[in-house]
Amino acid sequence: MESHTKLIEVKYDDRIVRQFFMAMMVWAGAAFIFGVWAALELADWRVNANLQWFTFGRLRPLHTNSAIFAFAGNAIFAGIYYSTQRLLKTRMASDILSKLHFWGWQLIIVGAAITLPLGFTQSKEYAELEWPLDIAITLVWVIFAVNYFWTLSIRREKHIYVAIWFYISTILTVAMLHIVNSIEIPVAMFKSYPVWGGIQDALVQWWYGHNAVAFFLTTPFLGLMYYFLPKAVGRPVYSYRLSIVHFWALIFLYIWAGPHHLLNTALPEWAQTLGMVFSLMLWAPSWGGMINGLLTLRGAWDTLRTEPIVKFLVTAVTFYGMSTFEGPLLSIKSVSSLGHYTDWIIGHVHGGTLGWNGFLSFGMGYWLVPRLWKTELFSKKLAETHFWFGLFGILLYYIGMWASGITQGLMWRAFDGNGQLLYPDFVETVTRIVPLYWVRATGGTLYLTGYLIMVYNLYKTIKNSKGVANEVVMVPATMEDHSKVKDTGHRWLEGSGPVFSILALIAVAIGSIIEIYPTLNIHKYVPNNVTVAPYTPLEHLGRDIYIREGCYVCHSQMIRHLDFDVARFGSPSLLEESMYDRPFQWGSKRTGPDLARVGKKYPDLWHFKHMINPRDIVAQSIMPNYPWLAEQSVDFNVLRKRLSVMKMLGVPYSDDEVTRAAELAETQAKQIAEGLTSQGAPAGLEKKEIVALIAYLQCLGQKRGEKSVSISN
Amino acid sequence: MSENQDFDQVIKGHDYDGIEEFDNPLPGWWLVTFLGAIIFAFGYLYYYEMSSGPSQVVLLEESMQVLKSLKKSGPAMDEEKLAALATSDKLALGKTVFTGKCAACHGQNAEGLIGPNLTDKHAIHGTSARMDIFGIVVDGVLDKGMPPWKDALTPDELVNVVNYVHSLKGTFVANGKPVQGNEFQ
Ligand code: HEC
Ligand code: HEC
Repeated sequence: MESHTKLIEVKYDDRIVRQFFMAMMVWAGAAFIFGVWAALELADWRVNANLQWFTFGRLRPLHTNSAIFAFAGNAIFAGIYYSTQRLLKTRMASDILSKLHFWGWQLIIVGAAITLPLGFTQSKEYAELEWPLDIAITLVWVIFAVNYFWTLSIRREKHIYVAIWFYISTILTVAMLHIVNSIEIPVAMFKSYPVWGGIQDALVQWWYGHNAVAFFLTTPFLGLMYYFLPKAVGRPVYSYRLSIVHFWALIFLYIWAGPHHLLNTALPEWAQTLGMVFSLMLWAPSWGGMINGLLTLRGAWDTLRTEPIVKFLVTAVTFYGMSTFEGPLLSIKSVSSLGHYTDWIIGHVHGGTLGWNGFLSFGMGYWLVPRLWKTELFSKKLAETHFWFGLFGILLYYIGMWASGITQGLMWRAFDGNGQLLYPDFVETVTRIVPLYWVRATGGTLYLTGYLIMVYNLYKTIKNSKGVANEVVMVPATMEDHSKVKDTGHRWLEGSGPVFSILALIAVAIGSIIEIYPTLNIHKYVPNNVTVAPYTPLEHLGRDIYIREGCYVCHSQMIRHLDFDVARFGSPSLLEESMYDRPFQWGSKRTGPDLARVGKKYPDLWHFKHMINPRDIVAQSIMPNYPWLAEQSVDFNVLRKRLSVMKMLGVPYSDDEVTRAAELAETQAKQIAEGLTSQGAPAGLEKKEIVALIAYLQCLGQKRGEKSVSISN
Repeated sequence: MSENQDFDQVIKGHDYDGIEEFDNPLPGWWLVTFLGAIIFAFGYLYYYEMSSGPSQVVLLEESMQVLKSLKKSGPAMDEEKLAALATSDKLALGKTVFTGKCAACHGQNAEGLIGPNLTDKHAIHGTSARMDIFGIVVDGVLDKGMPPWKDALTPDELVNVVNYVHSLKGTFVANGKPVQGNEFQ
């Protein structure tokens, strides 16, 4: 049969794979160094060095963005470009688009590395980048998508393999998530406000955030696993049927699970419950991927002992299994009440990223480099050493954060026999876990060391290369169909790229629409005798500083419906209280206490001293110093534009307030500054950022009121 | 398993860049987990969102009631009872509480910082009477930035710190903040 087919020569574009791979290695270094640095800042606040560009609030987003989009992003692009061409038996459709994709993506990363330290941020987790970069991401992603689907349409292999299914769902869903979550209105070159406010923003953001994990760190990596694991062990994939069932179940169910980041909060309960139960249903489909990966090894288990590549891949899949068990567990409302806001979550995500994404990328790298550079790996032994450094690093990290998270979670909820909090002082629960921050930093350093060993090993490998060339293969000139029978069912679908893609898009659209649509009209959830005053212009300005400094990475503003939250911070946060908040600042981690009701709790002078040096007030605090806030001046004139955008989005400012915004802010700032000075703070603070920030902090929890409604209404 | 004729059969025609696929069935335990989770999910959803399951507001109210019922109000205090508890070891305990919780605002030696000097013979509220101090410390002066301590300190700690503050009155430590409020005897 085969001999009848006319063969032609195809040259795969391996240059682009080498480029993406090199970029992955470079950015991995950056991501890991930022990570260790951030870890040290929590272990010892002095590591912040009073440098505003690298205080924890700005460094953590830099770390997460470089780990997810720079390291993991380039890893998946390298793997996708390599495997897709071979699985479809064709070169990528357009070299120009491939190049634009590569350079565009790297420029975005450079843009991120410059803007995040400068404090240009939307404060939406994993979507911090400001609007010009958001537009750039959209463009580059569209370039990638066009190139990809074009390649799909000129394939010479009729049926698309399971890896390609996962790539398709990745490309479509990431586009949808990014665009919907980034609908924002610019007010300056690097400043914008999302159109979503309060719970809408919370829901859209965590629909995005959770599914960035799903469709950027899970589905593409499953695709890579389905290619590189069978390749590395030379065994058939365990079960094609399992591939089908777990693929469709996974992408359909994943998209619903976002609200599990918002359990026990002000989010309407039906949405919380959907988030929880869909997460539970997601457990088995996730494990489907793990089973298919691990059981593919049957008959080749000995390679696990001898081949470092297999060690990396199998450990990666095992960590995937652990994380996808822990995820549903943490989504149970009562477990979430213990784990949420603590380091347990940080441990959980690092099991996934360091274990699953990191190790899969490393395994793929050791497999790819000798092939891409036509040489042998310099040292298997060093690869083996890398593996053990990495594994011990992850274990230290994971165990350290489990211990820290569960310890702190239990301390927060402990009551004495009198019904009083056993540890009413928040900082007491911080001091207890600081030693574990050192354990975490040590784990991270081991992981970083392993990576450096890999760099050396690959450098030596590539140096031995006698030159590279794109791989040339003979493939059938026309689309190849191995099966002799007419396709039915799923097999038919695999033969039709467009239908497959449309179905995949529908699968992810259903849950999205059902969850997001009803919250678009949030006013129906607000009792009509309730009033919420908008921020004064100065408070609004202070809020923008709060966002710029990334205070939300350490402070939540969401008191949950839990007795111990209420006993510590006051009555539970209600959804109307953050109704006008763009972006929302509910936060996801309590390294410091919740601030939803901190307003009026302390005098202005307390905040002034505390911001300049928290340890002047709370001796064991690990919060960074913010001395520049008392040095840098604000520009009240930006307020008019900012408030007018808020008004346009429905915040009830009067025209007068908008026009006179600068003047109103100036007056309020003068009052606060005078008060501070009279109590002993230095004079001349009225134009300083710290005054705006204090105005904001003092209004938290003070905005909600109730009016009596007349019956006739 | 290896005797099973249907097991580990490579599917004909599935060859992707050399990768083949088996036609193995879905593992039974996996299927059971999956279906079990689905059944549980719908049951849970039905109970809490469509049937009589309690809402988070109700659950919170219940547990706040429980906490309230645990609250044993300390023995009612008066000037004599407080004075009787002012032994030197208890004053030492009161000092520890003060350094930990009050010094941030009142200064390490109670000389005054954000809050007033507690070592002079002036008071914004009341006099140097133990019960006056007790009242302020328990309920705070929220508008002026003095927090209420009734939930953050145990009844013993409250008594000790109040007696400690009382013992400072009129000691006029160095670098004291200028007097505030009215003079008392
Ligand atoms: C590295 C994490 C971290 C960052 C970043 C951080 N904080 Fe804190 N914050 C803490 C910790 C820990 C505490 C508790 C100890 C203390 O009071 O200093 C705290 C306490 C506070 C408190 C007192 C709350 C209370 O109820 O006692 C305020 C107010 C506060 N922070 C404001 C801010 C602001 C504003 C920013 C951003 C400019 C910020 N924090 C950034 C960790 C952080
Ligand atoms: C957040 C800062 C802060 C902390 C912490 C604090 N205080 Fe105060 N305290 C104040 C302020 C401000 C006032 C003045 C209130 C006023 O002007 O009405 C005050 C007033 C007082 C007064 C009344 C003084 C007078 O002149 O009438 C007493 C007594 C007192 N505090 C005791 C304590 C004790 C005991 C603690 C620790 C358990 C404590 N305070 C902790 C800020 C604080």
